[in-house]
Amino acid sequence: MRLEAAISDVRLIEPRTKLVRAGEELTQSTLLIEGFMSRHIDDRKGLRQLVAVHVPGDFVDLHGYPLKTLDHDVATLTSATIGIVPHQALAAIEHDAPDLARKLWFATLLDAAIHRAWLFRLGRLDAVGRVAHFLCETNARLVVAGLSDGRRFALGITQNDLAEICGLTDVHINRVVRALREEGLCFFRSSLVEIPDLTRLAARAQFDPAYLYIDEEASDALVNRGSRQ
Amino acid sequence: MMQSDVPQPQTEPGQAVAEEGLVILDGPDGVAVTMTPDAAELTGQSLIDAAVVARAQAPDLP
Repeated sequence: MRLEAAISDVRLIEPRTKLVRAGEELTQSTLLIEGFMSRHIDDRKGLRQLVAVHVPGDFVDLHGYPLKTLDHDVATLTSATIGIVPHQALAAIEHDAPDLARKLWFATLLDAAIHRAWLFRLGRLDAVGRVAHFLCETNARLVVAGLSDGRRFALGITQNDLAEICGLTDVHINRVVRALREEGLCFFRSSLVEIPDLTRLAARAQFDPAYLYIDEEASDALVNRGSRQ
Repeated sequence: MMQSDVPQPQTEPGQAVAEEGLVILDGPDGVAVTMTPDAAELTGQSLIDAAVVARAQAPDLP
């Protein structure tokens, strides 16, 4: 059985569209085919903290299948193409396709590993380190998805999104983006990220991609192309 | 005896800068906060006052 066979519908969703609200009962999950999505939690003042960013290929709310409700909201950041996977189809995979079920289990474990890295980022890194770490992580994930050559990728999010990811104000993000540019570590403009020296950026971010469990081929591409000057 | 892994008191000061009419305090470690000038002044004074009290509590610490 292939995962594609479990998709009941493919939809094009506008940017900034909320797909799942915390607490609502779920009967389907979302496979992100194209675009970027987020998971977020708002504080009592309505200020948003992004707790996950999803790239094409991610099963955004797979955990909604066993949990039945989520503790956070899910929304698109950019326009996005999504595949709808009914929970009935996931139940069939669980019972009839153990190899595929194991891959889905791996995906949720990878999700948890990324959350741990986000905790480390917010708890231990300064502002430049936080942004650098997020960009290194996104670059690595997009290399795996075939959407980065290891040093350049499209990232259709705003600096305000970046602020909500890194727990910084927009003024602080402006300063950090400028600092990264002036240090020649990274250029982020017009939805395009360029990383002239991934090794230096990763060092600044204390970034080690081991938690992403990237296969050898993609890992080679990340190192070899990423370090190219 | 195992070394403690809990966060230790910072011995390096944070660095504050002015940006677009606001004060940004960056570092050490996970500290990254933006304040209005009024909030920054009050925070600064609060830090100085607390440092005076802390020195009296443990005069031998640096």
